[in-house]
Amino acid sequence: MPQKELVDPCSDCREFESILTQRNRRLCQDCYRRAVSLKVLRRTENYRLRKYPFPKTGPLDLAFPLSYGLSSTVLLHMLHDQLDVQLAKPRGPPGYNLHVLIIEPSTICPSSPSHEEGFEAAQKCFPLFSFTRVSFHDIFDFVPDILETMSQFAGSSFVDNPSLSNQERLAAFRASISTATSRADVDYILMNRLVVAFAKKMDCRAVLWGDSDSKLAAKTLANVAKGRGSSVTWQVSDGMSPFGLEFSFPLRDLFTTELQNYATFFPELSKIIIRDEPPSENTLTKNLSIDELMMRYVQTQGEKYPGVMLNVTRTAAKLDPSQAPMTAQCSLCGSAVLESDGESGFCYGCIRSRPESS
Amino acid sequence: MAPPCAHCHSARAVIIRPKNRHRLCRECFLRVFETEVHETITSTHLFQRGERIAIGASGGKDSTVLAAVLKTLNERYDYGLSLCLLSIDEGIRGYRDDSLETVKRNAQQYAMPLEIVGYGELYGWTMDQVVAQVGKKGNCTYCGVFRRQALDRGAARLGISHVVTGHNADDVAETVMMNLLRGDLPRLSRGTSIVTDSAASEVKRSKPLKYAYEKEIVLYAHHRRLDYFSTECIYSPEAFRGSARSLIKDLEKIRPSSILDIVRSGEDLAELVPAEVKGSAPVGGGGGGGCGSQNGRTSGGEMAEMERRLAGDEAAAGQETEIRLPVKTPARKNKQAKDQPKVKTQTMGKCERCGYISSQKVCKACSLLEGLNKNRPRMAIDVDMEDEESSTTLMRQMERVELG
Repeated sequence: MPQKELVDPCSDCREFESILTQRNRRLCQDCYRRAVSLKVLRRTENYRLRKYPFPKTGPLDLAFPLSYGLSSTVLLHMLHDQLDVQLAKPRGPPGYNLHVLIIEPSTICPSSPSHEEGFEAAQKCFPLFSFTRVSFHDIFDFVPDILETMSQFAGSSFVDNPSLSNQERLAAFRASISTATSRADVDYILMNRLVVAFAKKMDCRAVLWGDSDSKLAAKTLANVAKGRGSSVTWQVSDGMSPFGLEFSFPLRDLFTTELQNYATFFPELSKIIIRDEPPSENTLTKNLSIDELMMRYVQTQGEKYPGVMLNVTRTAAKLDPSQAPMTAQCSLCGSAVLESDGESGFCYGCIRSRPESS
Repeated sequence: MAPPCAHCHSARAVIIRPKNRHRLCRECFLRVFETEVHETITSTHLFQRGERIAIGASGGKDSTVLAAVLKTLNERYDYGLSLCLLSIDEGIRGYRDDSLETVKRNAQQYAMPLEIVGYGELYGWTMDQVVAQVGKKGNCTYCGVFRRQALDRGAARLGISHVVTGHNADDVAETVMMNLLRGDLPRLSRGTSIVTDSAASEVKRSKPLKYAYEKEIVLYAHHRRLDYFSTECIYSPEAFRGSARSLIKDLEKIRPSSILDIVRSGEDLAELVPAEVKGSAPVGGGGGGGCGSQNGRTSGGEMAEMERRLAGDEAAAGQETEIRLPVKTPARKNKQAKDQPKVKTQTMGKCERCGYISSQKVCKACSLLEGLNKNRPRMAIDVDMEDEESSTTLMRQMERVELG
C-alpha cells in the first residue's frame, strides 16, 4: 500500500508527500496550486461563467495591466490556466477575451532596462490572451485632454513646449513635481488613466488588477495618509470605478508568500517576472514616498501579522461608496470633489500633490 | 540674521510651524494657533452662549493648552462660557499624583473651579490596585472604561453636560489608522467627529484641538510658558495604537500635512461606513480601549491576538459547507421580506447595579468590577465614606459580604 509509506501525506489528496504548508495545512504541490488558484477562480467566476450583469453570449472583453511583477504575472498564469480548462469543455460558457496591457517599464523609470524577453515570453506562455505594449508617454494619445489637466494641475511650475516629443513633455511635467510622495502619487494616477483609456478603447467591461495582498493593504493605508480616503473603495475593492468600468482585484485573498510559492512551480514564469529590488536600507525615511513607506510598513508588519494586514483591505471593502455625497469628479484622478475643496476642479488628495503645495 | 515673520513681516521669525513650515514670530504663532482653534469652534458651532463647559484636565500638555486657549478665546471673542476643570484621579502613583498637583496650580492660574473624581472613591479600586491584580497586560481596558464613566459622573456632580478633551490632530489621525488596522468600522465612523454625542452618555464630549498638531501644542505651551506635566502614563500601551503612532511620526517626516490629510480621510471614510454598522459594537469586543497617552512602545499582544483570531476564521471558512435555502416562490416574496430579522440596534437602559446608562443589564464598568472583586485578596479596603453614589454604596455592601 503506497499510502502507508508516506511520512507526511498531503491533507487534501492523501496520495503524495506534502511539501508545503498552506494556512496550517500540509499539501503536495498539485493540491497547493489548486488551493491557491481556487480563490482566484471564485473571484473571477462572474466573468468566466458570464454571471449577471454580463451577457450570456457574444464577446466579453476585459483589460489586464501587466507590470511584469510577481503578482500580476502569477495572476495571468492562473487566469490562463482556468480559461484553458473551461474552453476545452465542448458546451461550456464562452469565457472572455483578455486584453493584456503592458506599459513598457523603461518608459516609466529610465533606469529600468527594456524587457523585450519578458514580452516575448508572456505572449508565448499565454496564447489565449492578446498583448499590447505602450509607452508611458502614449498617455497623450490615449487621453487627449490630459495635457490641459496637467497644465492646470502644475500651474506655473510646468510650461508645455509643443515642439518637444511626447516623451520629453511627460518628463517635463513629472519633473515639475518636487517631492517623492507627490511624484509617485501622480505617476500612479496617470498610469491608472492610461489603463482605463486603453480598456475603453478595447470596449472592455472591467479591468482586472494584479495587486497582491500587501500591495492592496499598502495602497489602502497610503491613500488614507494622502487624504484620499473617499477613493479608497474603488482603489482596492471590487466594484464600479468612477470611470464606468468595473475594477476587480482577484488576488485579494492570497498572501504574497503563496504567490511566490506558486511561481516556483512554473519555471517559465521567471523569464517574465522582474523581481522587486529589496528596499534600500540607506534611504532616510523622509526621502521615501508615502507609498514606499506604507509598502515597507505592510511588509515588515506582515511578516508577523499577515492576517491583520490582509484585514485592512477587507475592512476597506466593507465600506459602501454609494453613501458618499454626490459630487463633481476630480479632473485628474476621477475621485469625488467636495465644495470645501475649492474651485480648482481637483480633489483634496490631488491638491495635496500639486507642485505649489509640496 | 533670521528671516522676518511671514505673517507680520516685522518681528524675527523664531518658529517654523510643523504644520506647514511657515516661519513665524512668537506673537504671530500664538495668535495663529488660537485663531485656528477659534475657527474650528465657530465653524462647527461647538458652544452655545451661557453654556457651562468642563475641561477634562490631566495636567498634560494637551489639556493645559486647551484650558489656556479656551480661557483666552472666551475672553477675546466673548463666547460667554463658564469654564471649569474636571480631573480624573486614576490612582497611579508617581504619575497621576504629581500631575494632579499641576492641575491644582492650573486651577489657580486660570481662576477656574476644579473637580477631582477618583477611581478609588468611585470604584473602590485604584489603577495601581487593578494592575497589581490583573497585571500590566490589558489594564488599559479597565482604565478606559472607568474613565468614561468617571468623566460622566464628575460632570454630573458639577451639573455640566459638555466635557471638552485635549485630543489633538495626531490623536485623531492615530485613531483612524488604528481602527483601520483593527478593522473596527463602528469606531471608524465615530472617531473623527468633533462631537461625540452618544446614547450611552448624557454628557456631550468634544475635542476643540482636533485640527491642532501635537508639535504645535508643545510649541504653544512652551512659548506661553504654560505649567504642564510631561510624564507619560507608566502602564503598558496598546499595540495597535503604538504601531499606528510610529507610522504617523514617519508620515509626518515625509509630508507634514499627512496628519491633517489622515483626519480628512477619516472624515470621508466615516461617511462610507454602512448605516447598519455605525452604531454597533466592534467585532470581537475590544472593550473601552486605552487612553491614547502611550508613546509608541509596542507590546504586540493585541495584534498577535487578532492575528490568531483571523487565522482561526480563515481555517473555519475553509471547512464551511454552503447551504442553500430552497428558492423562494414569488408569491411569498413580500411576506418573507417582512419577516427578515432586522439588524439589531442597541437599546439603552440602565445598569441594574449602578444606574449608569448601559445597553446591557450590567454596565461594562460593573462587569469589570465584578471580575476584580471576585478575586480581591483579603486586605483592608479604605473606601471614602463621603461618597453616596449608589454604585459605591452597593459595592461596599458587596465587599462587606465577601470579606465578612
